[in-house]
Amino acid sequence: MAAITAVPALQAALAAEDAAIFGYGVAGAHLTGSSLSAAMRYWTGHHEARDTLAAMISGLGAAPAAAQAFYRLPFQVHDAATARALAAYLEDGGTRAYLGLVAVSDQRLRHFAALATQSAAQRAAFWRGSTQAFPGLVR
Amino acid sequence: MLLASAATLPLLLATAGCRSSDAFTGPDPLAGRPPLGHEVRTLQAVIAAEENLIDLYRAAISGDPATSARARLLRPLLAQHEQHLAQLRARLVEPPGTTMPPSPSPGRTGNPSASPGPVRVSTVRLREAERASAAGLVQRLATVEPALAQLFASIAASDATHATALGG
Repeated sequence: MAAITAVPALQAALAAEDAAIFGYGVAGAHLTGSSLSAAMRYWTGHHEARDTLAAMISGLGAAPAAAQAFYRLPFQVHDAATARALAAYLEDGGTRAYLGLVAVSDQRLRHFAALATQSAAQRAAFWRGSTQAFPGLVR
Repeated sequence: MLLASAATLPLLLATAGCRSSDAFTGPDPLAGRPPLGHEVRTLQAVIAAEENLIDLYRAAISGDPATSARARLLRPLLAQHEQHLAQLRARLVEPPGTTMPPSPSPGRTGNPSASPGPVRVSTVRLREAERASAAGLVQRLATVEPALAQLFASIAASDATHATALGG
């Protein structure tokens, strides 16, 4: 397997966080009660994660990629069920991105990425209502 | 200039007053089985831990009524652990004749006649086992090759979601 360099993997995770921030804004408009509370909590967490990743990228001497103004959603969101499905989709994207970061050689980054993979997988399981055998791995 | 080669080395050693048996010091590298590499030993340990977790789930399920809510919750989690084990075993290539030591488990004891009957495995115990498994995998992935690290991280993430599903 070719060596995975840190900056591109960090940029991919940053892109996933930016997409999640955008997508939660759409999903949140169709959620209420405890689901809305969870969405707002996760949305705040994604902002914090985005800032952390941007700082890590800057610390490596690179410029963090800017968020897009608009993200094409995978399907139309029009009710609570599709909102939850979108949230799970976004968290699956984050899980894959952080799992990609696990492949770097730097041990501290691997540890950070492994824990972030767990967090994203747990949020995905929350929205999906079920667990998976291999979160983040394309099978 | 005389260059050393496989053909000329014995001549060089002879003229230098050396015996070929003096050329190498330390244990004979060709005697006995070579030691297993770090990743092989790590995989063996992870496989043993996964087997223990599966034994724990089977004991928990066998101790519950088949239609209980807890059994219905546990069966998909057990199925995912069995998938973990299959993938881990697929990564392991052991030399012929290698035998792994039996791993201790709640369903098996060294003395079958001393078995007290079905063991009641609490949900708390399962949850703590999932957390320990996730933490152990995160610790181990630091020093293995990238693809194996990703498998460990994915399984650890699955374990973390199991702990949450079990009320964690």
